[in-house]
Amino acid sequence: MAQTREKCSSSSKIWLITFGLICGATFLTRFYKVLEPDHVCWDETHFGKMASSYINRTFFFDVHPPLGKMLIALSGKLTGYDGTFHFEKPGSKFDGARYEGMRIFCTTLGALIIPLTFLTIWEMTKNLDSTVIGTLLLLCDIGFLTLNRYILLDPILLFFMSCTIYGVFKVRSLTDEGLPPFSSRMLAWQLYLGASLACTISVKFVGLFVVLFAGLRTIADLWNVLGDLTKPVSLTVKHLIGRTITLILWPILLYVFFFWIHLTVLSKSGNGDGFYSSGFQARLEGNSLNNASAPRVLAFEAAVTLKNHRTGGGYLHSHHHLYPAGAGAKQQQITTYTHKDENNKWIVKPYDREQVDGVVLVRSGDLVRLTHAATGRNLHSHRERAPMTSKFMQVTGYGEDGVGDANDVWKIIVSGGKDGDEIQTVRSKLVFIHYLQACALTTTGKQLPKWGFEQQEVACNPNLRDNNALWNVEDNIFDQLPKMSFEVYASSFLERFIESHAVMLHGNAGLKPKEGEVTSQPWQWPINYRGQFFSANSHRIYLLGNPVVWWGNLAFLAVFFLLFLVNCIREKRAQAFGKTVEGGENATLLNAAGWNFVGWALHYVPFWAMGRVLYFHHYFPALVFSSMLTGIITVYLLQSIKSFLSPELGRTVYQSAIGLVITTTVYSFYLFSPLAYGMSGPMSNEPNSTVTGLKWLDTWEF
Amino acid sequence: MDTKKTVKSRKAAKASKEVIELSDSEKSFYESSLNNKREVGDGAPAENELETKNTTKLKEDVDKPIQSLYIHFKIDLVFITLLLAALGTRLYNLHNPRYIVFDELHYGRYVTLYTKGVFFFDAHPPLGKQMLYFAGYLAGYDGNFTFDRIGSAYPESVPVKALRFVPAVSGSLLVAISYQLMLEISTYQSTAILAAVLVLFENSFLAQSRFMLLESIQILFGLWGILCVIKSTRKSGPGSIIWLCIGAFSLGCCFSVKYSGLYTYYLAIFLVGRQMWRRISNTESVLRLALSALWRLVVLVCIPLAVYISVFYAHLAMLPKAGPHDSAMTSAFQASLKGGLASITRGQPLHVSHGSQITLRHSHGRTCWLHSHAHVYPVRYTDGRGSSHQQQVTCYSFKDVNNWWIVKRPDQPSLAVSSPPDVIRHGEVVQLLHGITSRALNSHDVAAPVSPQSQEVSCYIDYNVSMTAQNIWRVEIVNRESEDATWDSIRSLVRLVHLDSGSALRFSGRQLPSWGFNQHEVVADKAVTHQDTIWNVEEHRYTKAEDRKERERELVSAEMIPTAATQLSFWDKFMELQYKMVTHAADAPQGHMFASEPVEWPLLVRSIAYWLSPNSNAQVHLIGNMITWYAGTLSVLLYGGLLGLYAIRQRRAYFDLTPRASQKFYDAGCVLFLGYWLHYLPYFFMDRTLFLHHYLPAYIFKILLLAFVIDHIYFTICVHESKRSFTNIFILCIAIWLAYVIITFQKFSVLSYGNTDLTETDLLNLRWKDTWDFILHKKK
Repeated sequence: MAQTREKCSSSSKIWLITFGLICGATFLTRFYKVLEPDHVCWDETHFGKMASSYINRTFFFDVHPPLGKMLIALSGKLTGYDGTFHFEKPGSKFDGARYEGMRIFCTTLGALIIPLTFLTIWEMTKNLDSTVIGTLLLLCDIGFLTLNRYILLDPILLFFMSCTIYGVFKVRSLTDEGLPPFSSRMLAWQLYLGASLACTISVKFVGLFVVLFAGLRTIADLWNVLGDLTKPVSLTVKHLIGRTITLILWPILLYVFFFWIHLTVLSKSGNGDGFYSSGFQARLEGNSLNNASAPRVLAFEAAVTLKNHRTGGGYLHSHHHLYPAGAGAKQQQITTYTHKDENNKWIVKPYDREQVDGVVLVRSGDLVRLTHAATGRNLHSHRERAPMTSKFMQVTGYGEDGVGDANDVWKIIVSGGKDGDEIQTVRSKLVFIHYLQACALTTTGKQLPKWGFEQQEVACNPNLRDNNALWNVEDNIFDQLPKMSFEVYASSFLERFIESHAVMLHGNAGLKPKEGEVTSQPWQWPINYRGQFFSANSHRIYLLGNPVVWWGNLAFLAVFFLLFLVNCIREKRAQAFGKTVEGGENATLLNAAGWNFVGWALHYVPFWAMGRVLYFHHYFPALVFSSMLTGIITVYLLQSIKSFLSPELGRTVYQSAIGLVITTTVYSFYLFSPLAYGMSGPMSNEPNSTVTGLKWLDTWEF
Repeated sequence: MDTKKTVKSRKAAKASKEVIELSDSEKSFYESSLNNKREVGDGAPAENELETKNTTKLKEDVDKPIQSLYIHFKIDLVFITLLLAALGTRLYNLHNPRYIVFDELHYGRYVTLYTKGVFFFDAHPPLGKQMLYFAGYLAGYDGNFTFDRIGSAYPESVPVKALRFVPAVSGSLLVAISYQLMLEISTYQSTAILAAVLVLFENSFLAQSRFMLLESIQILFGLWGILCVIKSTRKSGPGSIIWLCIGAFSLGCCFSVKYSGLYTYYLAIFLVGRQMWRRISNTESVLRLALSALWRLVVLVCIPLAVYISVFYAHLAMLPKAGPHDSAMTSAFQASLKGGLASITRGQPLHVSHGSQITLRHSHGRTCWLHSHAHVYPVRYTDGRGSSHQQQVTCYSFKDVNNWWIVKRPDQPSLAVSSPPDVIRHGEVVQLLHGITSRALNSHDVAAPVSPQSQEVSCYIDYNVSMTAQNIWRVEIVNRESEDATWDSIRSLVRLVHLDSGSALRFSGRQLPSWGFNQHEVVADKAVTHQDTIWNVEEHRYTKAEDRKERERELVSAEMIPTAATQLSFWDKFMELQYKMVTHAADAPQGHMFASEPVEWPLLVRSIAYWLSPNSNAQVHLIGNMITWYAGTLSVLLYGGLLGLYAIRQRRAYFDLTPRASQKFYDAGCVLFLGYWLHYLPYFFMDRTLFLHHYLPAYIFKILLLAFVIDHIYFTICVHESKRSFTNIFILCIAIWLAYVIITFQKFSVLSYGNTDLTETDLLNLRWKDTWDFILHKKK
C-alpha cells in the first residue's frame, strides 16, 4: 500500500518535472530573439494595419472574423501602440512604433500551445512517454516556431484550437468517469470548451474544422452513454441538453458578441465602406450617408444615385467618354463605380414627357427614363453585344439633353413587391427591365479595360433571373417631399451581422488563383515541399517545417493506417473464433491515435476541395494532430516490440529507442533553427552560405 | 439463402394481393432452379444471364435452351413487358424533332470527326461518342454535316434515328435492369415492378434517352455493373468470378463514357470490400480469405483499366488525321498525326545548332510561341512603374512569321550553319536573335509589366544609355538522357536560363494590356523549376549561307534528318492525352441561362430547355416527374431517419427487425442510399457550370431507394399489423399515388417528345413552379 503510494507520488513528481522542463524549453525557444527583425514581416502588414484600424476605430473589410485582430489591437493598445504606424509593406522598419507588445502577445499565445498539447496528450493517453514525444515534436518544429512568433492570426488560432482539443478530451474523461451531466464541474468544463470553440471560429473560419471535431467527439460521448444499458435513457437526454446549451447555444452567443464588439468599435468611416450596403454605411461616422436625410419615397424628377445590390457593387455611373470602336456602338459609356462622384447622379423621368406637374410618385411597374444629370444622356440599351460579356446587351448613354429614342424606356419594378408599390429610398430592391428588349439592367462585375477607366461593366441581361440585377436608390435629392433622417434606414445590428457574413463569404469566394499564378497545393504540405519567406534582405526568415519532424509525421500517418487496419482485422478474426481481444493500455493508445487521425484528416482533407488560394500555413492545425499521433504511435510500436522481447532486453531497447527519438528531434531543431531565428549572408545555393548543408530539397528557397 | 423466406414474410405475402404471392413463389422457384444449376458450376448460368442482357431483340428469347424454356418464359414475361413498354416510349417517333437538340451539337460534331478520322481533344472519355459513331457508321452517315448551332435542321443525309438509337435503347434497358436490380434487393417482386415502372414513367430519363446524349448509356453500364457485382457477392465459386468479371467490364465501360461513372465504380469497390469484411468473421482459413480478396482486387482493378485503355487505343487508332484541336497537344503528339504539323516538320533537321532558325513553343497550360514584334514597352505603366522601353517579347497563341528566332553562339559573328553543323548541347550558352528585327533576346533587372515580381524580357535595343545588353542564355535540356545531350527539335524540352541573373524564361500566364496587343506576358523568373519555364523547338530550319546549294546537298544527305513522321508510342500518346484531360480547364459558359446548383436538384428548381421548334411552340425540356421526384427526396429523408432510429434503438438493445429484414434493410442502404450520396455529394465541391442532367446518375438510385422504402414500410406494416385493412389502405394509397405519377408523366411527356405545338395556356398549366422557364415565341 505504502509502496504504491510512494510510486504514485514519485511518478507524479516525474510528471511535474517533465512538464516544467517542457515549459522552460518552450519559453526559451519562443522568446529568443522575439523582437527581431525590427521590420514588418510577411502578413504582419495586414494584421498590423487592421489592429491600427481598431485603435483608430476606422471601418475596414477583411475576410476573417474579428476576434484575432481585436486581440492584437487590444494588446497593442495596452502596451502603448498608438495606431499611427502604417505597416505599409513587408520589410518596412518599425522606427520606434511600439510593436513589441503585440508581438510578445502573439508569441505568448503561440508558446502556450506547447504546454496545452502536453496536457492534451496526457489526458488522452495517461502515458508520459507518448506525451513527451508528441509535445517535443511540436516544440522542435521550426515551422511551428516561426509561425507563432509574429503578429499573425495563426498563433491565436492555434492557441484557441489547442484549448478546444484539450477541452474535448477533458470532457470525455469526465463523461467516462460517469460525472452527472449537470454537475458544476462538468458544466464548467463544457462552458470552457464552448468558449474555446467560439474563440477558435471567431479568429478564422478554418476553426470550423475543430468545431466539427468537437461535434464528432461529443456524438461519440453521447453514443457511449447511450450504450450503457445500466443507465436510463434519460441520462443521455440530460447529457444532450447540457451539451446543446454549452456547446451550441453558448458559443453562438459568444460569437455574436464578438461581432457586436467589432461593429461597435469600428464606428468611423474607413476604406472598407464601399463593400457594404447603403443601410450599413449609414451607421458609420464620417460617411456621407451618416446623419444625412432624404425623402422616404421616390418621385419623378428626383436626382438619385443607384447602388448595385451585389456585395461590393458600385453606383451606376456614366461620363463623357464613348465606348471605343469594336465594343458595340460608339456611344457614351455606362459603368458602375465604387466611389461617390457627381457622375453617379441620375434624374428619374416619365417615359413620355420631360416634366410632371406637382409631385408624382414613381411606382413599381412604371415606365421611366433615367437621364444622366451631368451629361444629359439617357440610359439606353440596344441589340449590340456588351463590351466584355458577349451574351449580354450593351448599355449606353444616348440622346441629347434628355431627348433620345424608344430604347431609353425602362420598366421599374420593386423586387418582391407588386405593381403600384411606392419606391422607397434605400429599402426597395429595384429591377430595371428594358421595355423593348426585355432584358434586365445588371453589372457583370468584370473590369473594363483602360478605356473604361477600369470601372465595372454594366450590361443588359436577357435572362431576367439575375441576382446582380438588383439596385437600390441611395441618394434621393428632391425638395418638394419631406425629408427623413437616414437614421431610419440604418441597419440594425442583426442585419449588419448577417451582411458582414455575406460580404466575408463573397470575399473568400473571390480569392481565386489567377491563371498561371503559382499557388501552394495541398499535396505539397505534408511533404514540406516548399516554404514561405517571412522576411527577406539581411535578416532572412523562412517558414519551413523541420523536415525530420514532418517526414516522420508523414511516415507515422501511414504506419497508423496500417496498424489500425491490421488491428481491425485481428479483432474481427478473434471474434470469429470466439476469442476476446485484450484491451489494456495499447487499446487506449490506439484509440487516442485514431482520434488524432480523425482530427488530422478533418483539418487537411477539406483543403483538397477548396477552390480558393491556399497557403502553406494552412497545414499547421493539421500538424498539431499529426505530431500528437506520431508521439502516441511511437510509444505504441515500441511497447509492442518490447512485449516480444525478454523483460531485460525489452526495457533496454525501449529506453534507448525513446532516447534516440528525443535526441534526433532536438538535434534537428538545432540544425534548422537558423531558419526561424534569422539567416544572413548568401543564399543556400551558394557554397559559402552558413546554411549550405541544409538545403535537402531543391524546392527550398532559403 | 434468398429462397428461404421467413415464415413471417410468407404470411405477409399471402396477406397481400394474389398476384404478388404468385409471382413471389415463381421467383423463388426460378431462383432455386438457377441456384441448383449453379451448384453444378459449369458456367451455364452466366450464359443465361448474358442473354437477359442482350434482350434488345426479342428473337433471341426463342433460342433459349429448351430445358428451361418454361421457367424463363415466365420470369421474362415481366421483364419483357417492361422492356417493350420502355422501348415503346423511348423509340416512339425517334427522328422527331429533326433538329439539333442541346448537346447533340457537341456529340454530333465528335461523331462527324470520328467519321472523318480527324483528331479532336475533349475532356471526356470517348466510349459513348464511339458508340454513337458506330450507330451512325452502320446507318451510312457520311460526316458531311456541320453541327453549327442548337436548333438548326438536319438534312436528309444525317441518319438521325440511328444516331439517337443507342441512347434510346440504353434508356429502355435501364427500365428492365432496374427491375432486375430491385429483385435482388427488395422483399417483394411487386416492388421491383414498381421501381421499374417509376423509371419508365420518369420524364427526365425519357428526355435524356431520346437524343444523342451519353447519360443513359453511362447509367445503364453503371447499373448493370452494380447488379453483376451484387450477384457476385451473393454467390461463391465460379459463378461469383464470372459475375464479377462481367460487372467489372461494365463498370469500366461506365467510366469510359463519362468520368462521373467513377462514382459507380467506387460503389462497386465498396460493395465487394463489404463482402470481404463480412467474410473475415467467418471461420475460413486466412489463406482462402486472402486469395479470394486478392483475385477480387485483381479483377476489379485490371478489367476496368484494360477496358479504359483499349477504348483510348481505339480512339487514337480511329483518329489518325490532324485537325483543328491539335494545338492543345505537344509538338511531338501533333507531329505523329497525319497532315498538320507532321507535314511541316517532316524533313526538318533534328539537332539545333549555331545558325538554326527555330520557333519556340510553350505547352504547359496554354499553347503559345515565343514572339516579338517591332513595338516597345511603354515608358510608364498605368501604375506608375517605369519600363526599359525595349522591344516587347510576348507569347503569341497563333503561328506567325514573328515567331522565328535564330540560335547563335555569342562569339561567332556569321549566322550561317557550318558544316558539319555546330550542334548546341545541354549546358551551353547561346543568344537568340529575333528573325525579323534581328534583335537579341535580353533580360535585365527591370520589373516585368504585369508580374512585377519577375524580370522583364525584351529584345535589346541599344539606346546608348548605361543599360548594357544581358542577352546570353544557358540551354538546359530537361529530359536529357546524358549530360552532353544535343538540343533536338520537337523532342527536347528546354529551359533557357538567363546567365546574368539565373532566372529562367517563363510564360507568366497573364495577358498584356492593349499596348501588348493582349498577347501573353513572357518574363524571366527566379523559380526556375516551374512547369511554365519549359519550351520546345517546333519548327526548325538551318540558315542558308551564300554558298547554299552545296551546303544544302550536304544537309540533305546528312543522316540526322528524319525522313518519316515522328512516331510516338501508344503509351506516350495515352499518357499525354490523360495529362491534358486532367489539366484541361473547362471554359464552360459561366452563368448559363439553364445552369443550376446542386442544392436545387432535389427539389427540381430548374429545368433545362433542350430545344424550341423554329415555327411553333413545340419544345423539349429536361424536366423530372414532379410526383416521383418529391417522393424520392422524401424517401431519402425517411431512409436516413429510419437508419438513425434503428441504430439508436439497437444501442438500447431493442431489435425492431428480424435479422433477415435488418440485413435486407442495410444491404439496400449500402447500394441505394450510399449510391445516391456518392453520385450526388461530389458536385458540391465542383467548381464549374452544372446542369440538372448531372443529377440523373444519382437520381436513378433515388428512385430505386423510393421503391425500397415503400417495400420496407409495407413489410413493417405486415409484420406488426394483424388486420388486413391497414395494409389494404396502404396499397390503395400507393396505387393512387402511382396513378398520379402516370398522369403527370403523360401530361409532361409533350415536353419530352417535343411533337406538340403548345399554346400559352398549355405552357402556363405545365409551369408548376415559378422557377421553371419555358420558352414562348413572340407573337407576330
